[in-house]
Amino acid sequence: MFQYEKRLQYPVNIKNPNPKLASLIISQYGGPDGELGASMRYLSQRYSMPYPELKGLLTDIGTEELGHLEMVAAIVHQLTKNLTDDQVEESTAFAPYFVDHGVGVYPTAASGFPWSAASIGVKGDPICDLTEDLAAEQKARVTYDNILVLAKDDPDVTDVIRFLREREVVHFQRFGEALKLTKDKLDQKNVYYMNPAFPG
Amino acid sequence: MQKRTVYNGCSKDGSACSGTGSGTLPACAPLAVPYVPFQDENPEKYEAQAALSNGTLFPGLNLPFRLKVDAPEVANTPLAELQALNFVLNELGLYLDTHCDDAEAFALYQSYRKLEQEGRAAYVAKYGPLTQMDTAEFDRYIWLNDPWPWEGGND
Repeated sequence: MFQYEKRLQYPVNIKNPNPKLASLIISQYGGPDGELGASMRYLSQRYSMPYPELKGLLTDIGTEELGHLEMVAAIVHQLTKNLTDDQVEESTAFAPYFVDHGVGVYPTAASGFPWSAASIGVKGDPICDLTEDLAAEQKARVTYDNILVLAKDDPDVTDVIRFLREREVVHFQRFGEALKLTKDKLDQKNVYYMNPAFPG
Repeated sequence: MQKRTVYNGCSKDGSACSGTGSGTLPACAPLAVPYVPFQDENPEKYEAQAALSNGTLFPGLNLPFRLKVDAPEVANTPLAELQALNFVLNELGLYLDTHCDDAEAFALYQSYRKLEQEGRAAYVAKYGPLTQMDTAEFDRYIWLNDPWPWEGGND
């Protein structure tokens, strides 16, 4: 089960509203490589994992991603807090989001596409799923790189983005190690001889 | 930039290379599968506050983007202190998931857990519940008290 803890993993305290930036960072909430997809991907993949290291790692990283989802939401919320009518009207970047969601936090890509399970993979095969996870961590890292290009003026935001981006690097490392632990348990002459999640 | 040992993929004596930012690859391995160098046991580690600031416990994995190389100094608040201790446990937990026989790392996990439990109890007593059930320690139902974590300015 999951139990809520009334704190963030890392502090988010943003002083200056910036609706344009909010309309970009929302992509890590509900975009194709965002934290919602990350948590759903890992927490869903774990059920077919045959080895304890994989069940544990996917549970633990998937849970951490839920904490990151909350941090991204906190950024978007604080960037759009106490906006005036004029600030909303003047932000041509934020206005399309505002007309659909106001200052609510909705899982969508910055490009406007709502969150979709089509952006994650659960294949029921450990090598395949872990390879997907390696790619997913890289895609999330690049999204944070791109956010840093767009957000470089506000350290209240970029400090948090730096933290979230670094977590992608660490998770990539752990998934790579998990892949090695998986291969070690398989036929070394042909690791693709069978699917250990469905030996048949 | 910190100096980094570059792993050439085939050290002559076959031993694991020793460098903060490098790990071990198998000398011989099945084809057509991806490999990530395995982080060696007992890697160099930051202190808790620096770990939280950098987003990792391990200097060897701290690989920032060109526009945000330096880690910020996370403000030294009571909440950030607890966040730092909890973060080390989170990070060490992921490390142990793939290095479950590293006894030194597990001992460190145990000692950080002790610190975190003490810090958590002190924090809750002074600043309020972190979980809904913590509220039972108080004389009335203060779980609903603002601010909530996403609102900012609360540490």
